[in-house]
Amino acid sequence: MNISKEDAEQSLTLIQKTTKQTVKSLVASYDSSILIVWGTVWLIAFVGTHFFLKWVWLIWISLCFAGSFATFLVFYWKYRTGNPIKNPEAENIGKKLFWFWALLFIYIGIWINIFSPISGLRINAFICTVIMFAWIISGIWSNSNHLIWLGLAVTAVTLIGFYIIPNSYYCLWMASAGSMPIIGTGLYMSYRWR
Amino acid sequence: MAKLDNIIHQPVRLQIMASLIALDPNEQVDFTYLKKMLKLTDGNLGAHLTKLEEASYVKIEKTFVGRKPKTYIKTTGKGRDAFNEHIQALKKIITSV
Repeated sequence: MNISKEDAEQSLTLIQKTTKQTVKSLVASYDSSILIVWGTVWLIAFVGTHFFLKWVWLIWISLCFAGSFATFLVFYWKYRTGNPIKNPEAENIGKKLFWFWALLFIYIGIWINIFSPISGLRINAFICTVIMFAWIISGIWSNSNHLIWLGLAVTAVTLIGFYIIPNSYYCLWMASAGSMPIIGTGLYMSYRWR
Repeated sequence: MAKLDNIIHQPVRLQIMASLIALDPNEQVDFTYLKKMLKLTDGNLGAHLTKLEEASYVKIEKTFVGRKPKTYIKTTGKGRDAFNEHIQALKKIITSV
């Protein structure tokens, strides 16, 4: 079988394009919903904190539970409708991810306790940066560049909010500059990558 | 020496194999999902998958999720080797003077 150099180049380009598209599409099928859910949780929680500061713990705890439940529903829905990908290792990966995030939250609680008393603003900036750190690490493990860049961007936004923006506007800053990129990335992946 | 593969070289089959190669060797992809992603019809995808299955390049598994029938596809070791050899052959053509 003989083909020209141009045909060979076209074939290689097609292979690269299809491989890239497949990876993006599969990543988007899971990550986009999760990003939209947690971006929305952050948005409501930060706006709620700004206007109802005395309810801060109730707002965050209830919304974190709501976000976790929504995340569970997303995965359950994927399971019920048939995952696009069947992987015999999926259950193990799911368990590892669950314990990773559960342990992370337990350790955040421990660290806050060790460093207490600290201000609410400092606690919030601390939690946001730790979670973004976890996203960056997850992105490195799973070769998901969007998680790495998003994690770095939201970390930068958090630091700007903490060091530069007046304290009274911190929550509104995080609601707009922190949550919106997360929701936006989720929506972009959902419409453009799938 | 790497040789071009007649079965893989056909553009639709090339795309199917490129998609499947992007997955881990143990992973299987849903037929409907693959069809939508590659913008193919049921018949078209089915026909090309049959060709690839006949060459033992892919493995097709029919199963049920709840009451719904589902078809999952994965590459075989032979399919991965053939695809990699095909890529090497393409690269060689490009680099040859």
